[in-house]
Amino acid sequence: MRNPLDWFGRREALLAVACMAAVLLFSILSPYFFNADNLSAVLNNSVELLLVGLGMTLLLGVGGIDVSVGVAMGLAAIAVGRLLQAGVNPVVAGLAGPAAGLVIGAATGSVVVFGRIPAIVATLGLYGVYRAGIYLCLGGDWLSGLPVGLTDLVGTGIAGVPLAFPCVAITYLALYVALRRTPFGPHLLAIGHSEAKARLSGVSVNRTQMLAFIVSGALMGLAASFYVATYRNVEMTIGGTLALEAIAAVVLGGTSVTGGRVSLVGTILGVLLLRLLQNGLLLSGVPSLWQPVVTGLLLLTVLGIEAAQGRLSLATLLRPKGGRLASRVAQ
Amino acid sequence: MTRPFIEARDISKRFGALQALSGVDLDIFEGEVLALLGDNGAGKSTFVKILSGAHAPTGGDLVMDGRPVEFASPQDSAAAGIATIFQELALSENLSIAENVFLGRELTHRVLGVPFLRHTAMKRRVGELLRELDAHISDPEVPVGSLSGGQRQAVAISRALNLNARLVIMDEPTAALAVAETRKVLQLIRKLADSGRAVILVSHNMHDVFEVADRIAVFRRGRKIAEKMRAETNPEEVVSFITGAHPDVRALEMQS
Repeated sequence: MRNPLDWFGRREALLAVACMAAVLLFSILSPYFFNADNLSAVLNNSVELLLVGLGMTLLLGVGGIDVSVGVAMGLAAIAVGRLLQAGVNPVVAGLAGPAAGLVIGAATGSVVVFGRIPAIVATLGLYGVYRAGIYLCLGGDWLSGLPVGLTDLVGTGIAGVPLAFPCVAITYLALYVALRRTPFGPHLLAIGHSEAKARLSGVSVNRTQMLAFIVSGALMGLAASFYVATYRNVEMTIGGTLALEAIAAVVLGGTSVTGGRVSLVGTILGVLLLRLLQNGLLLSGVPSLWQPVVTGLLLLTVLGIEAAQGRLSLATLLRPKGGRLASRVAQ
Repeated sequence: MTRPFIEARDISKRFGALQALSGVDLDIFEGEVLALLGDNGAGKSTFVKILSGAHAPTGGDLVMDGRPVEFASPQDSAAAGIATIFQELALSENLSIAENVFLGRELTHRVLGVPFLRHTAMKRRVGELLRELDAHISDPEVPVGSLSGGQRQAVAISRALNLNARLVIMDEPTAALAVAETRKVLQLIRKLADSGRAVILVSHNMHDVFEVADRIAVFRRGRKIAEKMRAETNPEEVVSFITGAHPDVRALEMQS
């Protein structure tokens, strides 16, 4: 019997409790924290990170990573912004985001998969390339004061529900189904566990890895559309910390940083916790300069704990009965 | 005498200056466990890798149904009904038994072009395979990481059977196992042969070999120097073949 709770395991429960604790703590620390306006602002601020984080979940799960995802989002955002400036229909401009993201994701994936370069090194190189691309496209200037068409479209949404909500929900459901109900799931997890073994078993490793990068790219592009809709500008430094935040949120959520184990719900909760902490600390009077420190410390703490657990489970593995198995939380 | 499932004819393999195999003739029959014995570097692994398509022979032929065959890749060999179970089992500990057995060959049905997994059908099939092997694993949904070494061998064998393998090659399947587990795996090997499949067992363990093998071939310095039915020989003789102490081997090696 599959444990019915295995999409919502111990890590996810812990994160949900941590989110509630954060809400409670900051409600006490700041009079401006606990109200509908601020909490919905936290949710609004989470949209891009949710989409990018869900994509990053696939990449970490397959044993990859993409540290260029933030600047890549900048490039997609420029595409959306330029189209809006040119007076293109906002629906078309909005859809251009995921389309551009898909292309960039395919390019990133090709470098990693066909260039046989470790993902962390390849995407670090691409970070520089994409950053230069942003400079070239913007020519030292900002895209600012973009037309409100896309902003209105996203804000009005469907039947009064802002468009971000169904977008994130559909993304989650689609990824859940892909991981649980199609061969993509076991293939991704097998590759993340051991690329060599997956290859021996006849899994098409390249195709699965490419697919992960393409999906991650499309989601990053969708995030770019939401970014442009929200801020109506594209600045030179766009997406600078996004990759770090996404990796931190995903690892916080229980996805293995070395692959083979993923949690989509964990990623969603990890993003919410990160954004709650950032917002709450700011409102409690901690300067925003400290935000990357908080993100970095969270990431290091989780990795530290997992390393410690790794040593523990190694010890238990030496026991005769096979030892404890870190449960594979598929969602 | 029935026709062999596959015949090796004068197989040789050279790696640069190293003659790893020379002039090996060997018939492999269905329903029979053939044990390959020999010291490290004697050539048995090279021979097995030629059968499994990992190496191409430098000379000689593999013959199936009277026709020479060439395996350019492990996929070719698998398509011909040969499954190799490597010492480091190619299993994913983070996936379930059923997912491992079907990994890369999942049963799916397409809805709007999307291949959806047929979980129930795969679970049922894996349940059947495990029962056929009498593996005492009740739940195909259990992650492989929680299984014992012997149970993992059973999963690897299920995977081979699911590919309709007619020849199952096992490389040191009991090397890392406890006594009770070894017994279980030897039973599995016997069961495979009794169900009409050919089995090649590569092993260093004389006891295992004499318990389960029908025929024993000894390799030494790239040559097959002896081939005996189990009933015609004994462990002492086989050891003397392996070490080269046997008079026949001495005579052979004096000539060359």
